[in-house]
Amino acid sequence: MSKEPVAVVGIGQTKHVAARRDVSIAGLVREAARSALADAELTWADIDAVVIGKAPDFFEGVMMPELYLADALGAVGKPMLRVHTAGSVGGSTALVASNLIAGRVHGTVLTLAFEKQSESNAMWGLSLPVPFQQPLLAGAGGFFAPHVRAYMRRTGAPDTVGSLVAYKDRRNALKNPYAHLHEHDITLEKVQASPMLWDPIRYSETCPSSDGACAMVLTDRAGAARSPRPPAWMHGGAMRTEPTMFAGKDFVSPQAGKDCAADVYRQAGIADPRREIDAVEMYVPFSWYEPMWLENLGFADEGEGWKLTESGVTELDGDLPVNMSGGVLSTNPIGASGMIRFAEAALQVRGQAGEHQVDGARRALGHAYGGGSQFFSMWLVGAAPPSS
Amino acid sequence: MPEVLKAPLVVEFPFTRSLGPVQSAFLTGLRERVVLGVRTGDGRTLVPPVEYDPVTSEDLHDLVEVAPTGTVTTWAWNHEPRRGQPLDTPFAWVLVRLDGADTALLHVLDAPGPDAVRTGMRVRVRWAAQRSGAVTDIACFEPYDGPPAEPGTHDGRFEDLVTGIVAPARLDYTYSPGRAQSGYLHALAERRAVGERCPSCRKVYVPPRGACPTCGVATTEQVEVGPRGTVTTYCIVNIKAKNLDIEVPYVYAHIALDGADLALHGRIGGIPYDQVRMGLRVEPVWSPGGGHPDHYRPTGEPDADYETYKELL
Repeated sequence: MSKEPVAVVGIGQTKHVAARRDVSIAGLVREAARSALADAELTWADIDAVVIGKAPDFFEGVMMPELYLADALGAVGKPMLRVHTAGSVGGSTALVASNLIAGRVHGTVLTLAFEKQSESNAMWGLSLPVPFQQPLLAGAGGFFAPHVRAYMRRTGAPDTVGSLVAYKDRRNALKNPYAHLHEHDITLEKVQASPMLWDPIRYSETCPSSDGACAMVLTDRAGAARSPRPPAWMHGGAMRTEPTMFAGKDFVSPQAGKDCAADVYRQAGIADPRREIDAVEMYVPFSWYEPMWLENLGFADEGEGWKLTESGVTELDGDLPVNMSGGVLSTNPIGASGMIRFAEAALQVRGQAGEHQVDGARRALGHAYGGGSQFFSMWLVGAAPPSS
Repeated sequence: MPEVLKAPLVVEFPFTRSLGPVQSAFLTGLRERVVLGVRTGDGRTLVPPVEYDPVTSEDLHDLVEVAPTGTVTTWAWNHEPRRGQPLDTPFAWVLVRLDGADTALLHVLDAPGPDAVRTGMRVRVRWAAQRSGAVTDIACFEPYDGPPAEPGTHDGRFEDLVTGIVAPARLDYTYSPGRAQSGYLHALAERRAVGERCPSCRKVYVPPRGACPTCGVATTEQVEVGPRGTVTTYCIVNIKAKNLDIEVPYVYAHIALDGADLALHGRIGGIPYDQVRMGLRVEPVWSPGGGHPDHYRPTGEPDADYETYKELL
């Protein structure tokens, strides 16, 4: 028996900000959930199951969100699952939800992800004083910066490419009312003049800390037929994992990322992602990860990703727009960041991305990763139902 | 076999929480010696109150005051109070249904012993002398044989609301790095770096983990590596981390020790930060107290050729 097609019929997110002190964590997640239900014109009663993801427990000290949030999310009397894959969690949470529909376990599933970074401490959570171990010497950016330098060495990319990405993403964010950073006076010169934190990564090339939540309503063919607005159809979805460190690990272009993308393209029948995909929303917490992922995801040959960025191909009006929403560089509630990527891909093919809509986007890729480039999750969504 | 190390690990952090309107009113009420419940769609009064109706999932905001007296619905005796618990003498954990409420609140009962506690017994709130807007503003419950108190008529509207709390989290572990890492640490004390070779793929892991993450097999063959190595990549750290006593800027590098098949991380010293480069040859500078090298410094050898370390970036 073939899989049930999966459609996205509701998308909701909060206005992402530095601190939402007016709501509890439950109130924040619920806000996104209600907005997704409203988009789908459904009520809590129409939901068969709830699948939730969040940042690692130590980040915000909430150990059992599924227990704490059951009543806030209308999950009483229904199955509720929690997914846990570090920064990629928003993506893998949506994929677990989609599998429940594809496998005909449930008809309509609410999936959500959140984080209140203002009430969290990611740096502390990542640097517990484990005895005998050498302390991490450099903080989160310091973990990634050497990999960026390795990319620059390997490809000969000019050192301005990172600033081009940051400048583009922050301008895209100005068109997205939900984005956290709205830097109206942003200029390329300002990005390039911002302080060097972890050389070669500048302040303006890093992501902010945000409070926010994202939710989606996923449903089957029958549910999609009742949808008041055009659905986004899932054409492929995959997750891959590899160890954080092992001999032969390629931090610049991890094998698990390549394998994950190849699996998604195979499911979706995509032979040439650069030509056949209209828009990409990828997880870029530090600007240089745009060219790195462009290569890892097969949009450019090895060593060529930065040329797409430099030549403007990834601009909102370019041939392959990347991070139309403003990306993680403009909005980063870590636990939700992966799902926001998936949701943006779906918004694009539904034609509902507003000012940051890519004209005629028919197929879009949503991408998330997490851990030390350890977990990857991706989906490809389309405006038309899958052919098989 | 050499001794496997272990040491205490305490993980502790004061998380902050924004309360939202319902918990905000509840905790502000406790500060003012008022216990508030919330009325649900089916007419029940939940104490402690919740933000969302457990039956209909609708928002709840109809706050009602309940009495500070109530009935124990079930209990368990705690012979040995632990750190951070509400009383430091033995007490009963109790669920108390306050007069006017339909659900029970978890708290503690100050009683002389388990023989003095029973389901159905009547109790009342003992308020804390200092109250800040926390569930511990109820110091505990105490036995009470008077008539039920009349609930007040507070509607949950307060001046000067408590809007957030600090929720400290603490976990006490005994941490052991295991056999392989203990061996590595013992060798470091003798200023040697010892890795382990995978019997299957032959890769040398430093520090060793006791197993190869690629092949999934145990590693036991010890291999001495270094002490010299090559800087494969690095960054210059310009912001001071709170928990590190290192002057910025400094160089944080990935260093492939000679004979190792993946890089470890360390600080580079003994050279101006802006002269560090990929391929720089370095050696450890040991700390007086032993353990991990304090940092690595240039050996003065010619730089390694990119081709020799590009797989180790």
